[in-house]
Amino acid sequence: MRKPRKPRKLILFAIVALIPVVTRGQSIPRTADGRPNFTGVWAGPGFTHRVGPGDTDTPRVTTYDPARMSPFKPGGEAFMTRPATSDSVKDDPTAGCLPNGLTRQILSPYAQQWIQTPTQIVILYEYMHFFRVIPTDGRPHAKDVELSWMGDSVGKWEGDTLAIDTVGLKEWMMDATHDSKPDQLRIHSDQIHVSERLRFIDPTTVSYQVTIDDPKVFTAPWSQDFQMKLHPTWKIFEFVCEENNRCMFGKCTESDVQKSGR
Amino acid sequence: MKPKPTALLVTVVLLVSALSAFSHHSFSAEYDANKPVTVTGVVKKVEWQNPHIWFYVEVKDENGKLTTWGFSGGPPGMLSRRGITRDVLKVGDVIKVEGFRAKDGSNNGSGGNVTFADGRKVFAGSAEDVVPR
Repeated sequence: MRKPRKPRKLILFAIVALIPVVTRGQSIPRTADGRPNFTGVWAGPGFTHRVGPGDTDTPRVTTYDPARMSPFKPGGEAFMTRPATSDSVKDDPTAGCLPNGLTRQILSPYAQQWIQTPTQIVILYEYMHFFRVIPTDGRPHAKDVELSWMGDSVGKWEGDTLAIDTVGLKEWMMDATHDSKPDQLRIHSDQIHVSERLRFIDPTTVSYQVTIDDPKVFTAPWSQDFQMKLHPTWKIFEFVCEENNRCMFGKCTESDVQKSGR
Repeated sequence: MKPKPTALLVTVVLLVSALSAFSHHSFSAEYDANKPVTVTGVVKKVEWQNPHIWFYVEVKDENGKLTTWGFSGGPPGMLSRRGITRDVLKVGDVIKVEGFRAKDGSNNGSGGNVTFADGRKVFAGSAEDVVPR
């Protein structure tokens, strides 16, 4: 005859079963108004999120996965995928310290600091000092948005999920795919509409879903899931791209030690 | 034994990916993945600045002629987040640098792998520890 379960085991089982429920609801950082609190310095999707000794993390180039993309509209693939010209000014404007643009910035292998207030989120990107000021009071986009590299973003709360909606982006690089495919680059149109959905999955990890709707290129919106990792000891650094960009657009300048060594 | 062409291709592809991983721009905008370079010499100067660190190595050829090569590494912020600090390279250190030449043919390059005289290796450029082999 099978022995009846001991109450102690049942209690232990109940505690273990309840742990995810308790942590899901209570252990993530929250603001005084009860919202999930995104304030802090984060390693975005452009890191491995393997946290090492000293709160280290490893940056890596991250790109959008073609397997996630929706089918192209007629002409959409030719619009998005451009052959490299061997002219760095056209092939990668960031080589001359021009902006990377929002969709590439989201995947940037540099840190970013988020500052949350009851009515807005401010994101400070280390890379080239870009920033976003995102109202979270539910307001719509302005009607007269000027096209820009970071676009016009508005946010809102859907329960514990922060939803950010961006329009008004210039036609620009989608990501840094030309490193894995040096013979081509990827461009999005100025009709692109970017949605970001962020939700804590544990106290230091955020699920970061990016949805891209570019009606000039794709037949339907498509999404890709990434993560952000909170690094409590990090701060963002100054990043002045022009400080010592010695091989700008592929033309190197001699340093003083090279001149004196001739 | 000669390495298989496939293995070589994989190595080069991984290396180029890794080199670009630290970059503020694409690797191919400035460097030529078809022109690897390896030099050994004395560190003359280190510029721990954005958008990439640069370090300069004085190299003596077989005729005694000295040439100072410049190599680009990762951005200071990225390196420090991997635990690589500004004192990792010092003037006077003897190092071997493996990288790729600048497209303009000058004595500059991307320095993906640095080996000290005592055998220690520092991946000044690579973000993912994939280095020339």
